Amino acid sequence: MRLQVALFIAACVSPAAAIYPDEVNHVDFHHALIGTPSPDSTFFLKPSSASNASLLYTISDQSILGAVNPRDGALIWRKDLSRAGFPTNKGGILRGSDGHNAVVGAAGNYISSWTAQDGKLIWENKFQDGVVADIELLELEEASATSGARDTLALVGSESAGIVRRLDGNTGKTKWESKDTSGDVAFQVSSSPTEVFYISLQSALLKGYKVKVTALDPVNGRQTRQYVLNSENEIATPESVLYVGANVASPLIVWADKTHKTLKVNVIGTKQVQTVNIENTSGQDIRRITVHAPHKLNSLPHFLVHYVTESGAWAEVYHVDLMTSAVTKAYKLPYLQGQSAVATSNIDANVYFTRITDSEATIVSSASHGILGRWNMEAASTERALHAVSEVVSKGKSVAVRAVVLREAGAWELVRNGQTEWTRHEDLIDAVAATWVEQEAQEALAHELEVEGHESLIGAYIHRVKRHIRDLQHLPDWLKELPQRIVSSVLTDEVTNLDNFGVAKPVIVATKSGRLYALNTGKQGAVDWSVQVEETSQWDVKSIVTRPGEATIYASDGSSATVNVSTGEVISRTAPTNVKLQSILSLEDHSVLGINEDGSPATLFDDSIGFLVTTSADGRVLGWSGQDNKSPVWEFVPPSSQKVVHATSRPVHDPIASIGKVLGNRSVLYKYLNPNLALVTAVNEKNNTAGFYLLDGVSGKVLYATTQYGVDPTQPIASVITENWFAYSFFGDVVDESSAKGYQLVISELYESSAPNDRGPLDSAGNFSSLHGSNGDSPPSPHVVSQAFVIPEPISHMAVTQTRQGITTRQLLCTLPESSSIVGIPRPVLDPRRPVDRDPTSSEAEEGLFRYAPFLEFDGRWFLTHVRDVSGIKTVLSQPTLLESTSLVFAFGGDIFGTRATPSQAFDVLGKSFSKLQLVATIVALSIGVAFLAPMVRKKQVNQLWKAV
Amino acid sequence: MSLVAVLLLCHLAAASLTITIPATNLLPNPHGLPASTHATLTTLPSGNDHLLTASLTHASTLVFHDIPAQQESYLLDIRSSEYIFAPYRVDVAADGSVLGIWETFRGNPWDNRGAEKYVVDAAAKKQSDVVVEAKLVGRRGFFEERAKFSPLSLVKNPMILLAIVALGFTLGMPKLMESMDPEMRAEFEEHSRSSPLTGGASNALAGGGFDLAGWMAGTSPNPMANADAAPAGVTGRDTGAATRRR
Repeated sequence: MRLQVALFIAACVSPAAAIYPDEVNHVDFHHALIGTPSPDSTFFLKPSSASNASLLYTISDQSILGAVNPRDGALIWRKDLSRAGFPTNKGGILRGSDGHNAVVGAAGNYISSWTAQDGKLIWENKFQDGVVADIELLELEEASATSGARDTLALVGSESAGIVRRLDGNTGKTKWESKDTSGDVAFQVSSSPTEVFYISLQSALLKGYKVKVTALDPVNGRQTRQYVLNSENEIATPESVLYVGANVASPLIVWADKTHKTLKVNVIGTKQVQTVNIENTSGQDIRRITVHAPHKLNSLPHFLVHYVTESGAWAEVYHVDLMTSAVTKAYKLPYLQGQSAVATSNIDANVYFTRITDSEATIVSSASHGILGRWNMEAASTERALHAVSEVVSKGKSVAVRAVVLREAGAWELVRNGQTEWTRHEDLIDAVAATWVEQEAQEALAHELEVEGHESLIGAYIHRVKRHIRDLQHLPDWLKELPQRIVSSVLTDEVTNLDNFGVAKPVIVATKSGRLYALNTGKQGAVDWSVQVEETSQWDVKSIVTRPGEATIYASDGSSATVNVSTGEVISRTAPTNVKLQSILSLEDHSVLGINEDGSPATLFDDSIGFLVTTSADGRVLGWSGQDNKSPVWEFVPPSSQKVVHATSRPVHDPIASIGKVLGNRSVLYKYLNPNLALVTAVNEKNNTAGFYLLDGVSGKVLYATTQYGVDPTQPIASVITENWFAYSFFGDVVDESSAKGYQLVISELYESSAPNDRGPLDSAGNFSSLHGSNGDSPPSPHVVSQAFVIPEPISHMAVTQTRQGITTRQLLCTLPESSSIVGIPRPVLDPRRPVDRDPTSSEAEEGLFRYAPFLEFDGRWFLTHVRDVSGIKTVLSQPTLLESTSLVFAFGGDIFGTRATPSQAFDVLGKSFSKLQLVATIVALSIGVAFLAPMVRKKQVNQLWKAV
Repeated sequence: MSLVAVLLLCHLAAASLTITIPATNLLPNPHGLPASTHATLTTLPSGNDHLLTASLTHASTLVFHDIPAQQESYLLDIRSSEYIFAPYRVDVAADGSVLGIWETFRGNPWDNRGAEKYVVDAAAKKQSDVVVEAKLVGRRGFFEERAKFSPLSLVKNPMILLAIVALGFTLGMPKLMESMDPEMRAEFEEHSRSSPLTGGASNALAGGGFDLAGWMAGTSPNPMANADAAPAGVTGRDTGAATRRR
């Protein structure tokens, strides 16, 4: 009931700025990302035995398990496994079985099974005694196997022991376990139709490892036999083992010697190691060897070895004799220049190998070297292909293939019969910085106008006339386009093209891996270009400064790179300096100022910059002035052993449309508008308190301070300050009898005095000084009005919509990690002057105030992300456009999401509801009516004249 | 050795809390809930695990397997993108077993408990697995409905209605007049002539049309005045004729 009332009130007042269903994908775009797929755990799988449709499953380096529709690359479901288990630096392992609606994933010590079709949990388990080193699904034809679920073999490895566990396919309960405490490195598990193998690496006496294979009874886990392979000469590290097969009639272990001269193959279960000579005719060193073998129980015992050199690659196909376990070479796929990737796929027992090179995609059967299908690649990617998985379908004699190729840059693309169907830029999940850029073309006119502004009156006039004459050359084209434009604008369902109003600015995004992407916000965030700027995996970008046509990226090590924003070409670079910067400020004149970790400025700055407020690594806030760059002017240390965790200031672009708030009785409350405000959050982890301090940046004076008790410092505490108000949120627990438990959002407004029409100590002053006040009380303290709301979920990040003039109502943009969305709370709802425990008086109602309710439920229409599942967002940016009503929003950090927010509705745009066709039809109808009625009226008047006479 | 591990697992599984999602009018098929649906148990950190999460299972339940053995009062939230569930209060005993589950009201004192969902039965031997039903309270509407164009809505517009009626009169009146018998028509005409308003208006029309815009602007004389002036004009013409006669 309460909720309904709250929802109803909210619905009444909120200037409903929700988006219309037909605007989805037009005003907003979303890249649902999972991270770079792990090669060993990526596969096509038919989740249902009834249907032939398959999905693409993978687990990424971020331990996110995802199911992707191979048709369009859309993410169907995903699960972050890292949340549940220990954080691991290794991505995870994923296994699935064709025709079974279950996939089993493991990350860290957490193992779980999910329904393959819709991502619902089947079972989960957490091991206390180690991390999961390998998992395999048991494909046994057991008499007892009545249910469809496949049991899972999990290898749990710890410092001292390796444990093989068989987990029930329906419940996840351990059926049996076999513990090996010999201290060997737990490596992998494998299975054949009749046995389970535990493969561990035994440290050899001098160097290297011996492969130890322990065969276990699949029913009770008892050890049946054990043998050791002499491999210490070749295997130096666990990574030296190229391949361990599983779930096939004859599982293999493959390794090579260090010089890549010979290949050693062991059919698991036999003691003999076969040596295959590598015939390297390319004349180049082999860089990488990969082994590709089918993963199906009934498939032919064939496998392919892929050799990659610096500039080319070839592959050899081998057959295994099931009786003698002998390995024989069948045929060779020729050496080709350029990159190459191979994938294996099955149709029943037949095995097919798909080879994708720069120029073509080919399919061969494992049985013979005849090429079954060949397609020319449309566009060769410049990025190296790391890995591919494929799916082959055959119709009569012809075959078709679709393969998903993972490129070195993190692009994951599906190639169907030589054509690239879709590309997912999984690298974007590691976005660390982003900004909107100005393109040069838009600047040409501005430049011309600037020239005119600097010339004499006559000179400027001549310049302008010349410019207009020059512009005339575009006239014929324009006239030619005109009819088409009119027709298309009337007929199509498109909203007015607003690109000229700055709503379709490109965004450049820098990722941790050293890449830079340009996203076209006008085209659903499609990647215009991407470029590797820095060869690193930890690019700590602190700031991106843009100028028309170019952007400069500054990293924490003091290096920078300038790129052309329309092509991505690197124009210039500066080398890293020997510093570690915690943040980089961009100044008005496109220069930057680095801040050291201890809070001091890295380079000297002068009075033209003014003053500086920094935070230091040891939890203090420092104020600096241009006169003295060596020591801070003031220092703020929070009281009672609190530690500063966050500091924020008003946005750079923060226009104020009105300096006061007009009340219902026409009196005015003057806003406290100090441009130098900083909001500091400090927490004490011992007694669970959080302090929020409002500082004056110039003098360091504490203008307002408040302490919240029962705060969970481990949960996100978000805060934001703009105009004359600030907001923060936290998780608050019970501290006394009357307190509630839950997430809270506090909003505070600053006024010059508590009385309307009164400016308090400022009186009629036109300006004020932070340092030199008339009565020593300078700057004057604000009158603060606050109200707290209980909200249903945590807020991890806050931002405020920005518009050109600040006339449009602002929205508080809150990132909700629990429901994977971004919500824009309208400011009128968050008015701290809402009357408490009584209905508003008529003058308050006129102001738009309504009764305060302690619980604030987020209305569905406030969700900027609507039905989208936008997870992992770390930062939300907002930027004004040339349209006052519209503010651009871009969110990154996990997924990529961009939209246009219209907090007071799109009042200066003709929306989709404006039908041009209807307007034209109305005019036509009226003209017809006039044409029809006019002669009638004329006739009548003439008749009447005759009658009157 | 293995027995110990199995026992350990059993012990962890001892205190489990299962939340079932019933089918309701708002949500006829709980199996259709998105995979992101999950439940959280939240409280202030006093141990290491103070934020527990449970994912939606294929049976449309949310199961917390290992509630830490610590006396605590948790806030249970069930989160789904589109559906809103009522929050619960879950009290856990020092051994990790659930003491009681109540509905709770956000923004109210924590001790203000709502409907009781489960309370441990002190007399009975400890029950380890607790099952409660989630309570669905609402569904979010994310989108604004766009007003659709329909001819019916056009007809509902009073301006359009007036115009249609006026058009009907203009076209229908002469027809009606013609179909009247001559006596009636004569009477009607007599009647309308004697009526000052219609008479004046027709006069004004006869005099070259009534200038509505001019009248509203005050530059043209009042139609009433016009009606009065017309007979005067007639007299004027009469007098003029008389003078000429003289």
